[in-house]
Amino acid sequence: MKLQLKIGLISLVLLLIALFLSISVGPVKINILDFSQLNQLQKTILFDIRIPRALLALIVGSALATSGAVYQTVFRNPLADPYLLGAAAGAGLGATIALTNASSDISVLLPIFAFAGAISAVFISFLISGKFFAQPSTLLLSGIAIGSFATAVQTFLQQRHSSSLRPVYSWILGELTAASWSTVRWSGIYVLLSLIVLFSIRSKLDVLLLSDEEALSLGVNANQLRIVALAAATFATATAVSASGLIGFVGIVVPHLVKGITHQVSNKNLPFIAMSGASFLILADLGARTILSPAELPIGVLTAFIGAPFFIAILRKRRLNSR
Amino acid sequence: MIELNSLSLSFGGKTILRDINLDIKSGQWLCLVGPNGAGKSSLLKVLLGALDYSGSAKENGSQIFKNRNRSVAYVPQNPELPEGMRVFEYVSLGAGKLNKWGEVSADSVFAALEKTDIYGLHERLLTELSGGEFQRALLSRVLLQEADLILLDEPTSALDLHQQISVLGKIEELKLQGKTIISTMHDLTLAAMYADEIAILKEGAILKTGKAHEIVHTSELKDAFDNQINVYTLETGNTVIYPEKN
Repeated sequence: MKLQLKIGLISLVLLLIALFLSISVGPVKINILDFSQLNQLQKTILFDIRIPRALLALIVGSALATSGAVYQTVFRNPLADPYLLGAAAGAGLGATIALTNASSDISVLLPIFAFAGAISAVFISFLISGKFFAQPSTLLLSGIAIGSFATAVQTFLQQRHSSSLRPVYSWILGELTAASWSTVRWSGIYVLLSLIVLFSIRSKLDVLLLSDEEALSLGVNANQLRIVALAAATFATATAVSASGLIGFVGIVVPHLVKGITHQVSNKNLPFIAMSGASFLILADLGARTILSPAELPIGVLTAFIGAPFFIAILRKRRLNSR
Repeated sequence: MIELNSLSLSFGGKTILRDINLDIKSGQWLCLVGPNGAGKSSLLKVLLGALDYSGSAKENGSQIFKNRNRSVAYVPQNPELPEGMRVFEYVSLGAGKLNKWGEVSADSVFAALEKTDIYGLHERLLTELSGGEFQRALLSRVLLQEADLILLDEPTSALDLHQQISVLGKIEELKLQGKTIISTMHDLTLAAMYADEIAILKEGAILKTGKAHEIVHTSELKDAFDNQINVYTLETGNTVIYPEKN
């Protein structure tokens, strides 16, 4: 069997198992294989809580993992993260503005503010890097500067409105608890659109790992491709952040796992990375809501528990290889 | 056929190339020689279409800059080594455009690896290759591009003598298949041995162009290197060019 087909099948089976576990396991056991035997309460839990939550984890996980892989290619850095260009800090600032000012229903406003914050931060990073965009490292540094600035403003706002500390803090740690069908719908459409763009350019993306001159001789305008790739990946990241807060490390752990297993760094594997990211976050969410059950651990804490040691392991491996 | 007429290149107020006039015939190996900073690599990038210029640079009648319909392969002096990438993936990038970015046939990749004598290294990480092996992986990628024009920036720098001869032999094979080769080369003896034509550059200008075996005996070559080279013809007819000892 061809390798690509094999990886595709494994990713799909893994995703289906993750989905099955996610909607079956919880304080109320639900056996969906025996659907006709479910009572009304179980059906309500299934359709109004578990399925939208699993789907949101699927959407956010696939968005973050795919964006991570794309950022790593564009910046030619295997440790690049989808939050690098200020998307996370921008979203954090947007969310804080919503939480500190909203007098009405913030759950409606928060995603819009977070989304606008993420997109604005990345856009400003692009503007600052200006004509030096040809060098991805300049863009990366301006992203870091904008991120720091947004974080400073956010902290200032938080200090001024101490009553909002808890909701802001909880949002920063990431959460899928607020998953509703409406969130699933809008975030699903945005992420799907971004993924369609990224999947359609996935074979060309590998050329960005080479120098711009080599890319040109291979028939790719590196700068144009970088802009399309970063725009789509940022759109997906901003959507994910707006829907679920800051869930870290998915964009680093998942692409590395897929690359390690397949022995390929190629972006041709983006669809598998997306499916694996979805499975990873669905299972992480399952862990977050069962480990301390009936209490719930913020999912960002769980992904950081897994991601941070993973990140250190990659760093260590790179250091050993470069000797 | 490539024709450069009154071509100049400036960057940040500095003139890199000045009034270049050069005709490059198809199916030949042209070698650009000259001291560091003479503009050899910049001229290669102009020929690639990566740098905008004033004057004219035409390939088969069309301007080179931003012309996306050309068939040109480029081997830089210091290529990027994508982390974690293996030889097979690296080489298959050469077939991307021809395949319209679809699935690349594994057979064609293996055939290219075989032609450059690195069949069997396809699973190796690029970072694990020796200089000569990597240079041959690059040539395999070039082969898959099926380009008519091949530009090589110092293809033998950092290689030992044995590897230099092996890589140059592979480039010569490409020329014999009808490809046009334009390379820069620091080693003047090797340039005289392999190239058909040589263009001597100094401070962004071409001092002289001509048949390789003739041009190495001209005063312009010595002038380019500030008279610090010696040219010696062996009984075999080969020319040896070596630096003057201070």
